[in-house]
Amino acid sequence: MKTDMASRARTGPPDLWDPVVRITHWGLAVIVILNALITDGGSTLHVWLGWIGMALLLLRLVWGLLGPVEARFSAFPPGLRQAVSHLRALATGRRVGHYPSHNPAGALMIYAFWASLAVVTCTGLVLTGGATPMQVAADKAAVASGDWSALAREEADGGEDGGAFRKQVEEVHELVADLILILAVLHVAGVAVESRAMRRNLVAPMLAGLRRSRGK
Amino acid sequence: MTAGASRQASRRRRPVAVAGFLVVQVVAAVFFVGDAVGDMIVDPTSSHSIFESLIAAALVLGVVFGGVELRRTLERMRTQEAALAVANGALAEVIRAQFADWGLTAAEEDVGFLALKGLDAAEIAEIRGSAQGTVRAQLTKVYAKAGVSNRAQFAAFFVEDLLGEALVPPDNRP
Repeated sequence: MKTDMASRARTGPPDLWDPVVRITHWGLAVIVILNALITDGGSTLHVWLGWIGMALLLLRLVWGLLGPVEARFSAFPPGLRQAVSHLRALATGRRVGHYPSHNPAGALMIYAFWASLAVVTCTGLVLTGGATPMQVAADKAAVASGDWSALAREEADGGEDGGAFRKQVEEVHELVADLILILAVLHVAGVAVESRAMRRNLVAPMLAGLRRSRGK
Repeated sequence: MTAGASRQASRRRRPVAVAGFLVVQVVAAVFFVGDAVGDMIVDPTSSHSIFESLIAAALVLGVVFGGVELRRTLERMRTQEAALAVANGALAEVIRAQFADWGLTAAEEDVGFLALKGLDAAEIAEIRGSAQGTVRAQLTKVYAKAGVSNRAQFAAFFVEDLLGEALVPPDNRP
């Protein structure tokens, strides 16, 4: 039974993702939900969460080079053809292959997430002029206390045709944020379908590895 | 069993704590670097900007080393787990090789394994769907080929190797 478990661990995704993968995953999930649906765009809290999200994204990307084998980019290379054939196998009910890390469709989803998160972060930085949340808070406090020079600075950043440019950046920021929400829905659906097809709980390894602690 | 499980659980929690610390460090580093870059753009030659950049660089380096260290810890844990699994499988391999050495038939090997797992003749017969008499005869054959006279001696044959130096009384150990 032990050897059976060991051989399964070698052919399937890990029973438990490493802590960096788990923390960045859930951290980004919470931040996406908060910033897309709850906080006001441009508010200090929104900028704070955006910066924390940027840090989590950077950590995950560096971990893709430094981390353990199954967390590295090389373990789940982006491949459109493999993803399509995997999805076709799922749709027709054929047996799907086992992959040491994410399956090809999941891998594409992950790269799509990262690209969208990077775009949202960068456009967010452009919109705030790269100001850290502390500066944003300080500026807001200054304006509130009647010092309008911070506002003037903001105006100078935009300036002339900058106004149109700013509008476009804002448009992209909001559009890609919506895209992330759509991806998230697809992601949750994908996890449910894959869990059924692979006959294994794919959520537990991302949480605390319930499979292990609960025993056989 | 539960003690072992909880020890394993606490061993698993340690890297989580290290990773949590790493995440906090990364967030701090990103904020600090952002601030330093902002200051650099405003006034690149002031001692404040230069100091801040140096500290930011040190912070980033520290984070990278922390990350590499965490990766090493995770890999070490994994190697230990793998070694344990190999050891578990190794005993089965040793037994299989010994059975082959004694020239047991396939049926005798199966019966021998079940006997080692602690099943009695009636249970083995039920699992294999054969008569108890057959199983008893097979067990006798196995004992004969192994040169032992009963089940206890048969099991002891394999346990003896595992005990190794542990035969020295515990209080005599250095």
